Amino acid sequence: MSLYLTQLWAVAWKDLVVEFRSRERVGAMAAFTALVGILFNFAIDPTVVRPEQIASGLIWLTLIFAGMLGLGRTFEIEAQDGALQGVLMTPIPRDALFLGKVLSNYLIMMAVVLLAMGVFGVLFALDWGNPAVVLATLSLGALGFTAVGTLFSAVSSGTAMGGTLLPILLFPLLVPVVIYGTSATNRLLADRPLSEVDGQLRMLGAFALVSLFVGAGLFRYVVEE
Amino acid sequence: MMRRARLAVLAAAILLLVPGFLLAQAEPGELAAQTLGRAYWHVFVGYAAAWILVGGWAISMTRRLARLERQLGKD
Amino acid sequence: MDAELGATKSGGGSGGMQRFAIVLTLVGLIGVLIFYWQVFFWVNTERTMGVAQRIFYLHVPAAWNAELGFGITALCSAIYLWLKDERLDWAAVAAAEAGMVFATLLLIEGSLWAKIAWGTYWTWEPRLTLTLLLWFIFLGYFMVRRSTDNSEHGKRFAAVLAIVGSLDIPLIHVSVLWFRSIHPKPVIMSADQPMNLEGDMLVTFFTALIAFTLLFLGLVAFRYGLERSQALVAQRLRRERSA
Repeated sequence: MSLYLTQLWAVAWKDLVVEFRSRERVGAMAAFTALVGILFNFAIDPTVVRPEQIASGLIWLTLIFAGMLGLGRTFEIEAQDGALQGVLMTPIPRDALFLGKVLSNYLIMMAVVLLAMGVFGVLFALDWGNPAVVLATLSLGALGFTAVGTLFSAVSSGTAMGGTLLPILLFPLLVPVVIYGTSATNRLLADRPLSEVDGQLRMLGAFALVSLFVGAGLFRYVVEE
Repeated sequence: MMRRARLAVLAAAILLLVPGFLLAQAEPGELAAQTLGRAYWHVFVGYAAAWILVGGWAISMTRRLARLERQLGKD
Repeated sequence: MDAELGATKSGGGSGGMQRFAIVLTLVGLIGVLIFYWQVFFWVNTERTMGVAQRIFYLHVPAAWNAELGFGITALCSAIYLWLKDERLDWAAVAAAEAGMVFATLLLIEGSLWAKIAWGTYWTWEPRLTLTLLLWFIFLGYFMVRRSTDNSEHGKRFAAVLAIVGSLDIPLIHVSVLWFRSIHPKPVIMSADQPMNLEGDMLVTFFTALIAFTLLFLGLVAFRYGLERSQALVAQRLRRERSA
């Protein structure tokens, strides 16, 4: 078990180091998030709608688009110089490899989540109510999203269409995340009690668990030669 | 090629049947009298869509088969 | 069928398969013609919904066949990944295409029905929404199959998508139902509410169901044969080129 975790962490650490040295994905995702926040401000007339009413939908969509930007490149760097072959030849089980990739993607994603909360909080002058619970909601949703996204980014980078295909494969599958995520965030922004978002959080958790298990089980067929 | 021609004739005949139903139904017969008489258009479109979709799929399959045969003949 | 094509088929059984496909398709077609006659000239018009209720006879078989198609695809895809038997992939893609055709039909019937019953072509009615999402998942299935240089990869990717999709469907369904419940309800008369079908309506309904299912099976068998021939031809061409 501890070997498994070591292997998992080795994969995640490798990706994080690459990311830390290049700051390629985080940089792009962060800039995207901030710019979308600014554009939404221009796109919305605050005299017609109150920002709190639509902020949750905007945040979730921003996170998903930004995440797509970063997830799409999960396997690009390794695919370019054939490094993925090398990773696959190591004695790391495929599911540990997948979960390691998910972990590194998730940490990157969480940086974007924090940034998005900051950007939207400031630009829309949002009152987060209970920021910890909002953060928990976003993190749960992001976990499920990252798991499905990592699996299909492996699929899409194996195709000739590459990242163009990713949203088409991913969006229909992400409907539960969007529905439960936005509705939970919506209620939290409206200062509703915690008991009202209990069900949504459970469903987000269920989605994340199912995605992790299914992804770990199916990943081997995606990278198999 | 004979088979394809036969299939095309069959498909055309089937498609022609659809307007036949349309005409038969548009007459103010007893069927029309007993209904609201407003939803006919939707029902016809719906039933025509079934033919068009299933027929279209069948035709596309025969075309793909023909292309395969051409490919075989060439080699 | 064709001597040329027959020559490429390895072993027997494929000719029988094609005959089986054609017989099933023809029987299905005759059944569908009988059903059309029943719907337009024989069956009584339902009292409350009027003539629009006739869409129901087409709607339910379309839904059943779409589900059948996608179900077969998911099942065959899962076993394909496990056993790596080409035939399972052929069956999966054949059923997926049929599922796509009937899901498209289902969406058309659904929105026509919605226009009459609810006054709008599209509502976010849970079943309608689920069908639309399924349609898009399987659109991705075909796109991913076509966009790989290595067809083996494409098959595996598509199988993975079919499995994830089929596991995600319950979650999507629950979430869409739930989403519906927080929105103001439109005046809904569910298309699938148990209607007390009279004898002739029941006969028409089952004629449609059986006829379209036979047509479905026949066309899927035909499509399976086509996929098989394509695979065998591609295989032979590869072998000739390398020789």
